[in-house]
Amino acid sequence: MPAVNDKTGGNMKKIKRFEKIRHEPTNVKELLTEMKDVSELITDLAYSAVIFDIREIAEEVKELESRMDKLLYQIRLTAMLATRTVEDAEQFSGLLQVASAAEDISNAAGDIVRLLDTKIENRPFLPSLLQKADEKIRIIHLPEKSPMSDKTIGELNVEAETGVRIIAIRKGERWVYNPGDSIILSGGDMLIVRGVDDGYIRLKGFAEGKRGLNNE
Amino acid sequence: MNEIEELFLEMKDTSELMIDLAYSALLYNSREIAEEVFNLEEMIDELNANIQKSSVSSAVNDGNVEKALVILRLANCIESIADGAMEIADVVLRDIEPHPILKMSVMESDTIITRVVVDEKSVLADKTLGETKLTSKTGMWVIAIRREKSWFFGPDENTVLKKGDIILARGPKEGEEDLIKIASGRKRRV
Repeated sequence: MPAVNDKTGGNMKKIKRFEKIRHEPTNVKELLTEMKDVSELITDLAYSAVIFDIREIAEEVKELESRMDKLLYQIRLTAMLATRTVEDAEQFSGLLQVASAAEDISNAAGDIVRLLDTKIENRPFLPSLLQKADEKIRIIHLPEKSPMSDKTIGELNVEAETGVRIIAIRKGERWVYNPGDSIILSGGDMLIVRGVDDGYIRLKGFAEGKRGLNNE
Repeated sequence: MNEIEELFLEMKDTSELMIDLAYSALLYNSREIAEEVFNLEEMIDELNANIQKSSVSSAVNDGNVEKALVILRLANCIESIADGAMEIADVVLRDIEPHPILKMSVMESDTIITRVVVDEKSVLADKTLGETKLTSKTGMWVIAIRREKSWFFGPDENTVLKKGDIILARGPKEGEEDLIKIASGRKRRV
């Protein structure tokens, strides 16, 4: 099943990105920013995979986990090459510690989705263990005639308007992870979202054409 | 909610707060925030120990070893996430100033962290966080509040905001401006 990650590109693009990482110098800031972003996304994805028992998301978590290995390797190389003085080395050592912590977090996310390898009858309680949080992970189905249909996520400004972040979207057989502002929503899409209760209720009502996005 | 569910709720929320605080500590080079991450880590250890106890004793009672194992493994994963947060915060507690790139990365990531002061004219003053619906209206999630010399970490919906409070929040870049306007009193509706 083809998967698209708005950050890392589709499968084809993904391979390209890895090659780019191997041959071209990349700067430490961009590497670290991506590592931070991935470490936050990957835990949300891991919890979603376990809560809703979705294999595709679990696979994406594993891919992101290996991407983090590569990013960590690259940031180490880049930092070493940039080190000239003892002060540089001391500061870079702290920076690499942060990068390595982000990678540890991703590995933990990978371990979370491996819980799905346990027979399903041994883990019926798993969703409820993770579902009661301040910011809950939930599913919203867009009906065919949803007011959100044919609009981009950026246009709707979903996260700033509702406090709910779209973590992943299933479009037919295809998944989009960490959708960016340019992703167009369509009727029939299934959104996996993370956020506070009142924002979720508002977004769900709007998605189903029952209310405006902003009114009480 | 049974006991284990409650422990997991606490553990997951705490580990996420720790990550937010760890990045905040980097952004503002704040030892106080970094130290809180270490305090929370102790809480995580305690929660994990309690989860271990109840899961083992439930296995003894109902003989369901597989179930107990899944619970133990999940708790360990969350503990590892919390450890990651601690590693990040640790960088701030060294005697060397964190590399400036760390701050830039936190500022440029998908989820940003920002700091605003609640003005006396702000609609936020003297309201609880729940009443303000700040998160669902701006996308910004409050991580911590500083009032004079004290910090409130991980406030909940019942936490009352006061004029002069410094709010530390995380969320999308698009939500930051709104939060600033609301906190400064330039925008009278949340």
